[in-house]
Amino acid sequence: MDFIAQLPVLPVVLPFVAAPLCLLLPAGRAPWVWATLVAWATFALSLILLEQVWINGTISYAMGGWSAPMGIAYRIDLTNGMVLALISFVAAVVFPYAGPSVRDEIAHKQTPAFYTALLLCFAGLIGVTITGDAFNVFVFLEISSLSTYVLVAMGAGRDRRALTAAFNYLVMGTIGATFFVIGLGLLYMATGTLNMIDLHERLVGQDNRVVKAAFAFIVTGLGLKLAMLPLHLWLPPAYSYAPSSITAFLAATATKVAVYIMLRFLYTVFGFDFPFLSVALDFFLILGVAGMFVASLAAMFQDDIKMMLAYSSVAQIGYMLLGISLGTVDGVAAGLLHLVNHAFMKAALFMAVGCVVLRLGSHQLSAFQGLAKRMPWTAWGMVIAAMSLAGIPGTAGFISKFALLQASFDKGGLTPTIAGFLIVLSSLLAVVYLMRVVRVMLQPLPESGPFTKPVVRPPLLMRVSLWVMVLANIYFGLQGGGLIALTRRAASILMGVDAGGAM
Amino acid sequence: MLELSDNPGVILLLGAFIIIALPTIMRRPAMLLITGFSAMRLMGMEVGDQTVLSLFGLDLTPMKFDVLSRLFLIVFHIAVTLNIIYSWGVKNATECWASLAYPAAAMGGVLAGDWITLFIWWELAALTSVFLVWQPRTRETYLAGMRYMVIQIASGVLLLGGIVILFRQSGALAIGALDLRDPSGLFNPAALMLFIAIGVKSAFPLLHNWVQDSYPKSTLGGTIILSVFTTKLAVYLMARVFAGTPELIWIGAVMTIFPIFFALIENDLRKVLSYSINNQVGFMLTGIGFGTAASMNGAVGYAFSNIIFESLLFMSVGAAMYRTGTSKATELGGLYRTMPLTLMFCLIGALSISAFPGFAGFVTKGLILDGAAEGHNFIIWLILLFASAGVLEHAGIKIPYFTFFAHDSGKRPKEAPPMMLIAMGLSAVLSVGIGLYPEPLFNLLPYQEQIADYHPYSAYHIVEQLQLLLFAVLAFALLIKFKLYPPEVPSTNLDFDWLYRVPGRALLFKIVSLIVSLWRWLWGGAQEVVTRVMARTHRTHGPEGTLARNWPVGFMALWTAVVLAVALVFLYWVA
Repeated sequence: MDFIAQLPVLPVVLPFVAAPLCLLLPAGRAPWVWATLVAWATFALSLILLEQVWINGTISYAMGGWSAPMGIAYRIDLTNGMVLALISFVAAVVFPYAGPSVRDEIAHKQTPAFYTALLLCFAGLIGVTITGDAFNVFVFLEISSLSTYVLVAMGAGRDRRALTAAFNYLVMGTIGATFFVIGLGLLYMATGTLNMIDLHERLVGQDNRVVKAAFAFIVTGLGLKLAMLPLHLWLPPAYSYAPSSITAFLAATATKVAVYIMLRFLYTVFGFDFPFLSVALDFFLILGVAGMFVASLAAMFQDDIKMMLAYSSVAQIGYMLLGISLGTVDGVAAGLLHLVNHAFMKAALFMAVGCVVLRLGSHQLSAFQGLAKRMPWTAWGMVIAAMSLAGIPGTAGFISKFALLQASFDKGGLTPTIAGFLIVLSSLLAVVYLMRVVRVMLQPLPESGPFTKPVVRPPLLMRVSLWVMVLANIYFGLQGGGLIALTRRAASILMGVDAGGAM
Repeated sequence: MLELSDNPGVILLLGAFIIIALPTIMRRPAMLLITGFSAMRLMGMEVGDQTVLSLFGLDLTPMKFDVLSRLFLIVFHIAVTLNIIYSWGVKNATECWASLAYPAAAMGGVLAGDWITLFIWWELAALTSVFLVWQPRTRETYLAGMRYMVIQIASGVLLLGGIVILFRQSGALAIGALDLRDPSGLFNPAALMLFIAIGVKSAFPLLHNWVQDSYPKSTLGGTIILSVFTTKLAVYLMARVFAGTPELIWIGAVMTIFPIFFALIENDLRKVLSYSINNQVGFMLTGIGFGTAASMNGAVGYAFSNIIFESLLFMSVGAAMYRTGTSKATELGGLYRTMPLTLMFCLIGALSISAFPGFAGFVTKGLILDGAAEGHNFIIWLILLFASAGVLEHAGIKIPYFTFFAHDSGKRPKEAPPMMLIAMGLSAVLSVGIGLYPEPLFNLLPYQEQIADYHPYSAYHIVEQLQLLLFAVLAFALLIKFKLYPPEVPSTNLDFDWLYRVPGRALLFKIVSLIVSLWRWLWGGAQEVVTRVMARTHRTHGPEGTLARNWPVGFMALWTAVVLAVALVFLYWVA
C-alpha cells in the first residue's frame, strides 16, 4: 500500500486506533507517553499532508474504496489542511504539557480513561476537519463532543462545579448537534446526498423552504458549537472548571474546528449562489461585533482568570465571525489567520494559567500577585501571550487584527468601516482586562492571604511547552508572511465555486 | 583637517573634568596648563581649516576655523587666562569646573561650522554657566540662576526651532549669512527665530534683564567669566549670520543708550558694569548692523578690546569687594589711600572703555563711528556720540570715582592680593598696548584691505574724541558740583523686568491656575463619567451581571430557540 495514497486517512485513524489501546495501558505515566507520541506522529503526518496539498492541490480519498457519492470521501484542501496542522500542533505541544498537570488534577487510576477521552476528542476534531462528507462531520463532532463532556467533568476532582458545567455543556452541545443533524436531514431530503461537493452541486438553483430551514438549523447548531454570542453561555464555565490542560487544548482547537465547519458549510456547501447568504453574513456581522463587546466587557470584571480568558475567547470568536462576514477573500483570510493566531495565544495563556494552578492551586486573580517574581518564566510567557491577544505589534495577534482591519477597510462601505473602528475599540477593552492581570503579576509578592508561601518552579516540561507556544506567537508576529500567504490561498480556494481547485 | 583634539572646546571641557579630580592645591596651575595647551593647539591652526563629518546623512562641520573665529578664540583664551590668575585663591571644585567648562562651550560654539553643532555648544554654555550664577549658594542666587536658566533655555528652544525651519527651507545646516527678510520684505520665520535666539543672548533691549539679574549675583571671578562669553558669542554669531541687517543698527543704537540711565542711578557697582555690558554690546551690534567692511572690523575689534577692559573694570571692583565685602557705591569710597594699584588699573580700564586716545577702546570705537558717518546716518551717529559720552559718565567716571574717591567710607582695606594685581596688571598692559600699538589686533581683523588705510590717530579722530570726553567730564564735574548728579542711594531700581517679574508673574500664575482648574473640571468630569459608565457596565457584565451570570441550562436552550427563530424569520421573509 502506497504511503502517500493512504496519507489522508492516517491522521484520523492513528489517534482513533490509539485511543482504545490507551485504555489498556497501566495507570500512571504510560497513557500520557502514549498519547504524546500519537500526537507527535499525527502532527508529522499533518505536516506532510499540508505540504502535499500545498504542492499538489486538493487531495481526495475514498474511504474503503467506495467512491464519492456513495461512500465517505475525505477531501483535504488548504483550508482544512491548515486547520488540521494547527490542531495537531496544539496537541503535540499540549499533550506533553498535560503530564505533570494531570498528575496533580486527575486521580491516578483515571489516567488511562482520561487520555483515552483526550485521544478520542483529538481524533474527533481531526475527523471533523478532514472529512468531505456532511454526515461524517456530525459523527466526528459527536465523538469529540462526547469525549469533551467527559474531560470537562474530570475537572471535578479539583472543583465540583465542573460537573454542572459539563452537564450544561452536554445539554447545550447535544441541542447544537441535534440542530445540526436536523439541518443535515433536511438537506438530504432536498438533495438525496450527503457528500459536500455533491450537496453543493445539487443545491444550486434550489431556493425553497426546506433548504432555508436546513440552513437555519445548521447555522444555529454550529453557532452553538463555536460559541457565537447568545449561544456562548456554556463556554465560560466549561473552560473554567475543566482541567488546565483540557482548557488549553479545547480553547485552541474545539471552537476553531467549529468555525472551520461553519466556513465550509457557508462557502463550500451553500456558496454564493444562495441569495440568503448575504443575510446570513449580516447576521454574523451583528453577532460578531456584539460578541466582541459583550464578552470583552464581561471579561473586564472577572476575578477568575480562566473565566476571563474564556470570555475573551468568545470575543475573539466575534473577530473571526466578523472576518468571515465580510464575504471577501481578504476577510475570510483574515478570519482564518485570526483563527490560527488565536489558537496560539489562548493555548499559551491557558497553559500559563495551568502552571499557576499547579503551584498555587487557584486561578483567581489574587493568586497572580507577584507572579513575575515567583514564577518569572510563566509570568513573562503570559505577558507576551497577553500582548499578542491585545494585538501589540511584534506579536501574532497584531498581524491578524491588522489583517482584519485591512479587510474591513478594503471592503469599503459604511458598515465594514464602522466594524473596523469597532475592532480597534474592542482591542482597547482587551488591553484593559489583560492589563489588570499584568499589573497584578508585576506587583510585589503578597504579604498576607492564602498565597504567601513560596513555591517551586513549575516542571521544566510545562515551561518548555508554554514557551513553544509563546515563541509561536512571537515567530508569527515577526515572520507572518508565510502564514498570511497560506490563509489567503486557502480562502481563495474555499471561496471558489469549485472548492477543490488546485493552484 | 582639524582633529577633535584641536578643538579648544573639547580640550577645556575635558580639562574641566580632570581638574575636579585633582587635589585642590593643583587645580589653578592645572587650569593654567590646560588653557596654555589649548592656546598652543590654537596657534597650530590655519585659517580655512575645517572638519567635515557625515552623520545620519547630514553634512556637519563641527569645526571651521576662519579669520573671525580666530579673533574670538584668541580673546577668549586671554580672558580665561586672566580669570584663572585673578581667581587664583578660589579652589572650589564647582567654580573651577564651571570657569573652564563654560568658556569651553563658548569656544566650541565659536568654532562650530553648522547649526546642529552650534546648538549643542549653545545649550552646554547655558547649562555650565548657570553653576557660576548659583555658586554663592544663597536662595537669592538659586532663584536668579533658575530665572537665568529659563531665559537661556528659551533662547536654545528658539534656536532649535529656527534651525529646524531653516533646514526645511534650504536642506543645509552650514552656518552662513542669512537675510532677516524675504525679497518681498516679509520676515523669514527661520531667520527671525534665529535672530531672536541670538538676540536674547546678546541681551537685546527688553530682553536684557537676565544680565543684570544674574551676573552681579555671582562670585567675583564668576561675574568676570560670565561677563565675557555669552554676550560675545552672540555678537560673534550676529557678525557671522546677520551682518548688514538694518534692524540691528537701531537695536544696537537703543542698546547703547538706555542702560546708561539705569547705570547712572544704580548703586551696586557690579550691576553698573552689567548695564555697561549691554551698552558696549550695543556698539558692536550697531557696527555689525552697518555691515560695511570698516564697521565690521570695528565691531569685532571692539569686541576684542572690550573683553579685556570690561574684565579689568570688573576685576578692580571685584578687588575692592574682595577687601571690603561690598560693591555698593554707598558703602565704598575713599579707597585710593590704601589700594593705589587697584585704583590705577581701574583708571586704565575706565579710560579704555571711555575711548581716551592711547587706550584700547579708542582705536576700535572710531571704526564703528566712522561706519555710522559713512552710512550718512546722522541720527545713529548722534546717538552713538551721546552714548559714548554716557559710557564715560557711568563706567569711565562713576566706577573709579565712587569706589576710590567720593565720600570717605572710612574703610582702609589692604591692597588687592598679588595674583589679582597680576591679572589686573596684565589686562591693563593689554589695554594700553592695544591703544598704543594696535597693529597686532588690526592684523587679526577680518577685512585687511580696509584696515590698512585706517589711522586711528588722525587729527580728526583725536579732536572729535577729546572734545566729546572733555565735555562729558565737564558735565560730570558740574553735576557733582551742583549736586545734581544722582546721589548714591541704597535703592532697588526697577527695570523693564519688573513688568514680567511682578505683573507678568501674577498674570502667568493666574493663567496657570485657570488652566489647572479647567483641566480639573474636564478631567474630573471625564472621570466621573467613566466611573458611572463602569458602574453600569459592571451591573450588566460583572460576574453577577445579566450578561456574565451562570444561567440555568433551560435558559441557554431558550436562546438557541430564539436564534433559530430569528434565523428562520430572516431567511423566510427577509431574504
